[in-house]
Order: sequence, then structure tokens, then C-alpha cells
Amino acid sequence: MPKTAYYIPVGPIHPALKEPIRVEAEIEGEKVVKVDVKRGFAHRGIEYMGMKRNAIQTLYLSERICGICSISHPYAFVVAAEKALGIEAPPRAQYIRPIIAELERIHSHLLWLGVIAHEMGFDSLLFWIWKGREKVLDILELLTGNRINYSVFMIGGVRRDLKESHIKALKDMITYYWEFTEKMKEIMLSDPVYKARTRGVAQLSKELALKLNVVGPTARAAGLRMDIRQDMPYDAYADIDVRAVVPQDIVGEARGDAYDITMVRIYEIEQSLDIIEYCVDNLPEGKILAIPNYVALLAKIRRTKGEAIGAHEAPRGEVVHYLKFDGRDGPSVWKVIAPSYNNINSWAPLLLGAEVADIPIVVAYIDPCMCCNDRVALLKTPEGKVLGYEYIHKKAVEKTKRIEREVKK
Amino acid sequence: MAEAGEVGKRAGGEERMNMNAEQILEKLKESLGNALLTYEIKEYTMGVRRKRTLYEIWAEIDKSAFRKAVETIFNIDYPHLHFITGEDTGGDVIKMIYSFGIYHGHPGGEISITLKFDLPKSELVLPTITDLMIGAETNEREIREMLGVEFEGLKNKRHLFLPDDWPEGKYPWRRDEHGVDDMVKYMHKSVKEIRKKGEGNA
Repeated sequence: MPKTAYYIPVGPIHPALKEPIRVEAEIEGEKVVKVDVKRGFAHRGIEYMGMKRNAIQTLYLSERICGICSISHPYAFVVAAEKALGIEAPPRAQYIRPIIAELERIHSHLLWLGVIAHEMGFDSLLFWIWKGREKVLDILELLTGNRINYSVFMIGGVRRDLKESHIKALKDMITYYWEFTEKMKEIMLSDPVYKARTRGVAQLSKELALKLNVVGPTARAAGLRMDIRQDMPYDAYADIDVRAVVPQDIVGEARGDAYDITMVRIYEIEQSLDIIEYCVDNLPEGKILAIPNYVALLAKIRRTKGEAIGAHEAPRGEVVHYLKFDGRDGPSVWKVIAPSYNNINSWAPLLLGAEVADIPIVVAYIDPCMCCNDRVALLKTPEGKVLGYEYIHKKAVEKTKRIEREVKK
Repeated sequence: MAEAGEVGKRAGGEERMNMNAEQILEKLKESLGNALLTYEIKEYTMGVRRKRTLYEIWAEIDKSAFRKAVETIFNIDYPHLHFITGEDTGGDVIKMIYSFGIYHGHPGGEISITLKFDLPKSELVLPTITDLMIGAETNEREIREMLGVEFEGLKNKRHLFLPDDWPEGKYPWRRDEHGVDDMVKYMHKSVKEIRKKGEGNA
């Protein structure tokens, strides 16, 4: 007897989603038979804004594309800008930049490991992992002054130097996380329940991963040796010889499922610890900015005509920035590709044939980041007239006042 | 010169020699002929203690040879699509930019190939590449809504980032009468400025 098909819309606003996106699934019994993904609910037009500002403003705007990858976008931006301008950051800055970027990777991966535990209903694990994540956030605050949005990168270097006390704190942190990752391997990878819940779920083959153009841990879990730090090394990464972390090197084969991606992320934390240790031990002396005067830097940008592509391996995958300088003090063309832009491609094929209970795992598996992926909303009257800023603001104030009156009653 | 003769294991499992940037350029010249208008191999040196040279191929081609150029790249190695974008400078053409990376997975060996060509605004149509790479759908849908370029053979033509009720004939990246400057008056002004002026009521 044919089963009746049900239609399950998830999002854009949904208690299980931390950011707005819409997944429309058609199910027959427990099986997903049709999927459609709609994105764009958090599109803010950042590229458009960037093409109207100067390069330094755009650099800090790029940091606001995403709160979690708040150093990955500036990293790709400075790499592209330095290529276009033909300048090189001083050696010390080239070693400080990967330290900050790897700290970000540790905190982003720990965030994901907590989220995936939560998605499968293992909330005590979520709290334990996030407690462990506090350490790296504290270090980032010590080094840069902020837990997120560090604002330490500059075209041609970095804005803050590392002090002796920072280096000591970094070494303590490295010891702390080596113990922490060992425990994580035990709790997650060796746990039969975790294994049962993730093995074979969200399985992506190597071939499909290549065709879907996915990037980062999603591609690596499927066995593709893809990592910008390895393929197109920059800064200190070129000295270190970074190698992509793939499951076949750890357990002999890559299955590309949620279990493999957990493994890739845990081992990448360890890789990040090694990179930070190398950078700290081999930190060159010297200045940290190629052009310390920002007015001179902007003048140079105004004189430059050229274009370049900058790429950085963000925690979720590659971030690519294309920019073109054309007689203005900022980019005349700016194109940003964030990892979720490509990784969301995997949802529709992975959800087909999956069970309803697997939807959260498939969705969380790539560590989706809507604010990275999207970057417009129009408010209209029922007649189709677009509402202006001031009108919306006035209405918001009226509403707040009304609520205040009601509360006082 | 890229490290010629590096033996790589590709996705299919077979081993073959990787070409260097010059050889790839030769291959493009061979298949495109006169349609390859200008080309350049850009070299960048990266690293502090161990300097490495990275190679990028930038080619300006004729619009008619676009599909052939993409197929040539796919025949060399299954690429990774970095991005598709376009620039409208307000004239009669849109400059399209496709960026691919090939030989990823080889330490320091990825070569980026950037194809650029002018697309006349009178005929904004391009063949799709989704038959070669299904993942390119996202990119093509974005270009379609942002620049108004139509892709022949693209199956899913729904809006990607813009809302479904987005007005027709408006494309955010265009710098002509199809642009959106009149829709985004306040994106680069401070809130204070807007309030002072007191405009913006519906």
C-alpha cells in the first residue's frame, strides 16, 4: 500500500536552527523523498557595501561577515590585497597571523563538536566541550582584546605584537588541549553510541564531493586531500608543510560520514596545536607592519591598478576573496566565497533517502554558517511599496512604548 | 617553473604527470587558437624561511570560446571552482570572471586558472557548466540574480539569496539602469545622518 507523503517545512525561523535557513522536506513514512533548500534569509549585501568603502574599512567589514570565522575573511582579504599591491608582510607578522587563525580553528571546531553532540541529544557532552572551548576564547581575548572580531590583521601585517607573557599562556594552552583532545577521542570516537548514531549518516562519496564542489572538513572527510594551507600555502604555512587531515591516514579508509568528519575535526585541533607551537618557537624578530602609516597605505591603493585572488583555509573550508583595485582607495570589485556557500550543496543529495531523525545531523554536519553564506530583505506594504528606514524605526519605537505601557499596567 | 614531473594520484586512482603552468597554457592555446586573446602567468612567492612559488594563469578569452576553455580545463584535471563573478563598469559589456583551481591535493602545487571575457549586455546568455559540475548551480544562480546573466541549461532558476518577490529587472551588481542604487539609500550612511535628514518615510 503506498504511504501518504507528508511535507515538513523547517525554518527559516525554527527553534532548532541557530541561524535562518529553510529546508523543505517531503517524507514518506520515515524516509525523506524530496528536499529543497532555500537560503538568503540573512543576506546583508556586504559585498555591495565593501565596493563603496575604502580598503581598510572593507577589511574590518569583512570581519563582520561571520562572527565565528572573524579572522578567516580578513585573512583572505589581506592575502588578496597584498598580492594586488605587491607588498609582503614582515616575517614576524607572517608568523603571528597563522597563530591567530589556528586559535580560531580550535574554537570553531570545538563549537561544532558541541553542536553535533547537541543535535543528537547528548547535551552533557555539549556543555563539557563548550566548557573546554572557554580556554581558547580567553587566550584570544588576551592576545587581541576580543573573544571574537579580533581586528588584528592589516594589509601588510598585523596590528598587535605577541609579548613574552602571551607566549607563556599559549604554551599552557597547548598542554591543556593535548589532554582535552585525548579525552574527546575517548568520549566521541570510541563511544559505541556516538558511533552508532554517526556511522553511515550523511555519507558523501569522494566522487560526489568533488562534483558538488564542497570544501574543507566536508571534502576531507570524504577523502579528498584538499586544504588551502597545503595546496596554495601562504605566510608561515609555507614553512611548516601543512598536510590535509584525511580519515584514510588515520584509520585506513575514508567513508565521508558524520563519524569521519568528527574524526577530521578532532585531529585538526591537534594539527592546529602543532602549528601554533611551531610558530611560537620560531617566531622571527622585527617589525609587524610593512606600511605602518594608513594614509600612505590608502594612497598606495589609490595608485594601484590590479586584481588578485586571496584564499585562506577557514575552519569550515576555503574562503576565497577576489578583489580589484582601480584608482579608488577601496576595491572596485569584491567577491567573497565562504565555505558554507559550497558546502550547503551537499544537503539535498545527502537528505534524500535519509530518515527524519537524521535531518539535524546532515544539516549540522557541514557546520553551516548562514551569515557567511548569505549576505537582503525588503519590507513592503501589502500594495507592494518598499518601506523606508525611518518608517520602520518609528514603528519599532512605537511598539517598544506600547509594550512598556502594557507591562506597567 | 612549477615542479614538472610531479606524480600525482588523482580521484580516479590512476597516476599521471602533472603539467606545469606553461604546459597548461600551451594546452589552452592549442585548443582555443585565436580566441585566447591575452594571457599571463603570475608568480607569487610565499613563505619566510622556505620560499615557495605559486603560479596563477590569467587568460582573457573571446566569449564564443568560453565553453571550450572550460572543457579543456576539465580534461586536464577535474578542477575545483573557486568562484564566478562579473564586473559591470557601466558600459555595454559585463566582464565575467571564472576562477578554477586544478591539482588541488598536491602540496604547493595547486594552479589557479582565471578566465575573463566580455559579455555584451545585448546578449547576456552563457552555457551552463552544471552538466560538468553539479555544485556550480549555486554560483550560476547567484550570478543570474545579481547580474542578470541567463544560463542555458541551468535547471533550477529560483532566486538564491534575493527574496522570491524581488522586483524584476533589478540586479544588485549592475551599474546601469538595472542597478539598485535607488533601493539602498542608507547602506553607507550612519543612523545619525539619516535621522538628521529625516527622509525615508514610505
